[in-house]
Order: sequence, then C-alpha cells, then structure tokens
Amino acid sequence: MAGIANPNGQHDLFGAAGAASAAVSLERVPDAPPALSVTGLTKRYDDGTVALRDFDLEVPAGSFFGLLGPNGAGKTTLISAVCNLIRVTDGDIRVFGQPASTLLARSWVGLAEQDINLDRFLTVRETLVYHGGWFGMAGRDAEARAEEMIDVFDLRAKADVRSPRLSGGMRRRLLLARALMHRPRLVILDEPTAGVDFELRQELWSYIRKLHAAGTTILLTTHYLEEAESLCKEIALIRHGEVVARDSADGLREHYGADTLADVYVRAMS
Amino acid sequence: MTGNAGLLWLMRREVLRVTKLWSQTVLAPVVSSILFILVFGLSLGGRLGSVGGVAYEAFIVPGLITMAMVQAAYNNNASTIFQARSDRYVNDVLSAPMHPWQLNLGYNVGGIVRAIAIGAALLALSAPLTGVPVERPFALAAAVALGLVLFSALGLVVGIFADQWDHTTFISNILILPLTFLGGVFYSVEMLPAPWEELSHFNPIFYLVQAVRFGFLGTSDVSVWLALGVTAALAVPTYAWAQWLFSSGRRLKA
Repeated sequence: MAGIANPNGQHDLFGAAGAASAAVSLERVPDAPPALSVTGLTKRYDDGTVALRDFDLEVPAGSFFGLLGPNGAGKTTLISAVCNLIRVTDGDIRVFGQPASTLLARSWVGLAEQDINLDRFLTVRETLVYHGGWFGMAGRDAEARAEEMIDVFDLRAKADVRSPRLSGGMRRRLLLARALMHRPRLVILDEPTAGVDFELRQELWSYIRKLHAAGTTILLTTHYLEEAESLCKEIALIRHGEVVARDSADGLREHYGADTLADVYVRAMS
Repeated sequence: MTGNAGLLWLMRREVLRVTKLWSQTVLAPVVSSILFILVFGLSLGGRLGSVGGVAYEAFIVPGLITMAMVQAAYNNNASTIFQARSDRYVNDVLSAPMHPWQLNLGYNVGGIVRAIAIGAALLALSAPLTGVPVERPFALAAAVALGLVLFSALGLVVGIFADQWDHTTFISNILILPLTFLGGVFYSVEMLPAPWEELSHFNPIFYLVQAVRFGFLGTSDVSVWLALGVTAALAVPTYAWAQWLFSSGRRLKA
C-alpha cells in the first residue's frame, strides 16, 4: 500500500490559491468570524427525544477542535445540524459568519460521516466528480481535482470500481476524499477512524494534521481519546447535549487533576 | 453561488443511473410493451376489428405507451430516492449548496428521461408494426409532459415516505397498474355497460390515457381539454407535494 500522499508535497490538495487564501485570511484578519458558531441550538426529535438543548459552541477559524462524549451525547446531532441534515428545532448556526442554511456557508463545509454512505451506482472517480459538481465545481475543475484526490488517497487502482466492491479501508479513504473534494474551509470528521485498522488510522492522522497545517479548520469527533489528545488543540467534552468542559488536553488534565485524558473523560462523564 | 451547477450535476447523476442500468430501466419495459402490442394487437386485433374506426392494433398503442411511461417514471424515482435514503448517500446531496426546488427538479429528471426513452422506442417500433399515427403532436406533448410530471413526482413522494421497498412496489402494483388497465388502455369506455362506464370517469389515469390517445389518433372518449385539465389538476399538487417534502425536510431529515 502506497499510503496517503503528502498534501503539501506531491499533490496540491487544497489548491495553491485555496491554501494561501485560508492562511492569509487568518493572519490578516485577527477578528475573523469563527469557523463555527452555534447559539441556543435545540433539537427535539419527532419521538420527543431532546438531543441538544440551548447548546452553545464556538470553533475558532483555523483550529483543530475535538468533540468527545459518549454515544447519545449529541455530537452527531450537532454535526447534522451544521450540515443541513436535520430539522433544527431552535437556535442559530453560523459558518464563518454566514448562516449555515445559506448556500455559501454550505459550500464551505466538508463532511465525512461516521457511517459509510457512498452512492452504490457510482465509481470512485464518479463519486468524487459528482460531489464536486453539486458543490458548484465546474466540470474540468472537478475532474482534475478528482484525479488529485484519487492519487492522494491511493485509490488509483480502484478508480473505476463502484463503491460496493471496495474494501472497508478503501471506502473510508473515499469518504474522506469526498469530504475534501470541494476544498472546504471547515472539515467535519465524525469518527473518521471508527473500525479502521492501525495502519490506515496512522495514515489518516498524518494526513489530517497536514490538512490542518495548510489552514483548514477541523472539527473532529472520536471515541479514541488518544486520537483526540494527539490531534486536537482544543477539546470539548459533551454529555447529555451540554458542553461540560472545554480546554486543551493539558488544561483539561490540570482542571480535573487527572494524569490522563481517559481519567478526565471518566470524571467529566460521571 | 446559485446552486444551478449542482442542479445540472444532479440531473446528470439521475440520467447516468438510468443509462447504467439501461437493460432494466429501458429495454425490459420496451420488450414487455411490444409483446402486448404483438399479442393483443396483431394476433387478436384481426378478430376484434376496429374501435371507433381505428384498427384495434393501433387503438391500443397510445394506452400501452402511456402505461409503460408512467410506470417507468414512477418506479425510477421511487427507487432512486428510496435507495438514496436507505443507504444515506442522500445526505451528500442534502448537505450540498442547492435550493430545495433544485433538489426536487434534479431528482424528477431521471424518471422523465427514462420514460421519454421508453416512449420514443415504443413509438419507433409500434408505428411501422401497427401504423399508428400522431395526429395531434402538440396535444400529445402536453399530455406526456403532464403525465410524466405527475408520476415522476408521485414516485418521489412515495419513495420519500416508504419505509421499505414493498411500499414503493405496493403503490405500483395495487394502484397504478390496475387503474391504468381500467383507464381504457385496451378498450373504449363507451363499450362498457353502466355503471362501469360512469365509474371509469372517476379513474384519474383514464383522463391521461384519453389525452395521449387524442394526441395519437385525434379522437378520445372525453374532451381533450377535460383530459388535460384533470391531469394537470393532479400533476401540479403532486409536484408541489414533492417540493414541500424537500423544502421542509420531512422524512428526508430527522
């Protein structure tokens, strides 16, 4: 396996202009709007379950932000609300200052969902090109970008294979490639390494780090505490739809008087 | 950012699905409809004579083409949206920067293109076989357009509400197919005794069949304006229903 290519080396993942503009915007505009601003978000499902109640969260532009919490804490509900995938009961969501419901804000977000949700009728190449298309990319740009992503994520040998015939690891790579296809400014990764073997997980970590270094804001949810500690500059712990703590990994350890993030997690959730 | 580029790509994706599965989506319905024409029209037509002055084998062609097209439009769109919901790859489209009206239009296109491909193939095959004319092409175009909007949108609505595949096929097999058969595909309702002739006028598909038949043959059991009006009165709210589902997110978003 060739592994995932260096995003800043052989392949221009973000597009030179995209990376440069992201970096410049962060440097020149210190009071730039946060990548994600959630205010008073409430989500009540049709069965009456309240997943989030009056939820507030701000993710600074350019940050690598982790969301930790048990199943049912509201992480995926929050992500779904940001990405227009659920009907929000109440609250305000903004992406780089724009209401999340606007087309502009939606074009800035890339989502890799926890579950594999690939179009069974499309090949790897088509999956990427069509995703780029409905995110507004022109045909030639989408096709060129798809070729880049195919190389970056080592999908060349399966480029013309439909997704049901891919291995689990290949599908996970394709899911991530699709999320990055349209050069989003905010990348949301919902447990991207769930069920992934050690080797691929290391590759994904390395790639995500480089993506962040190039100026992309990352919002990561994960159940792997070492993953959050290794990758995230800031971590929010969520329980029952509320943020119970938020700080760097070191800050959380200090606040809870714990030696490890696992101890922090146990104490915060108890 | 207008979403129009996304709309075009969504249309392309829906048409791609039809072309990739062409043997199922186009060839199979064409073959089955041609068999109807061969069996009922050419083999039995000689004994049945004519209906309203039109040879029986030509008389049944408009209804059979209508039946094939509306079933294709419905089945295509019910299955494409249900599959996308079931496998959750609809999320990739729902999160994209497109307006709800663009999603509705984009998803409708696949069924319409598939139905037109089937209709064109059937016309090309049946015209030399039966000699069926196209007397009123504009009326035919209007009838086909309204019928396809109606059944494409109905397919989306059912595919969005369905919890399992059976629900989509139930509507097709229990509602659309019987109503199409009873809508005068194989006979003129004027040939029916009371009260069946009167009851046929409560069948909405009867009016679509009549409108298409008028386009082909220049005659129908009811006024073409009534037939087009009833079909439009069904097509507009059904399309609006699909639009409301995309706008509100009901059944598409939790």
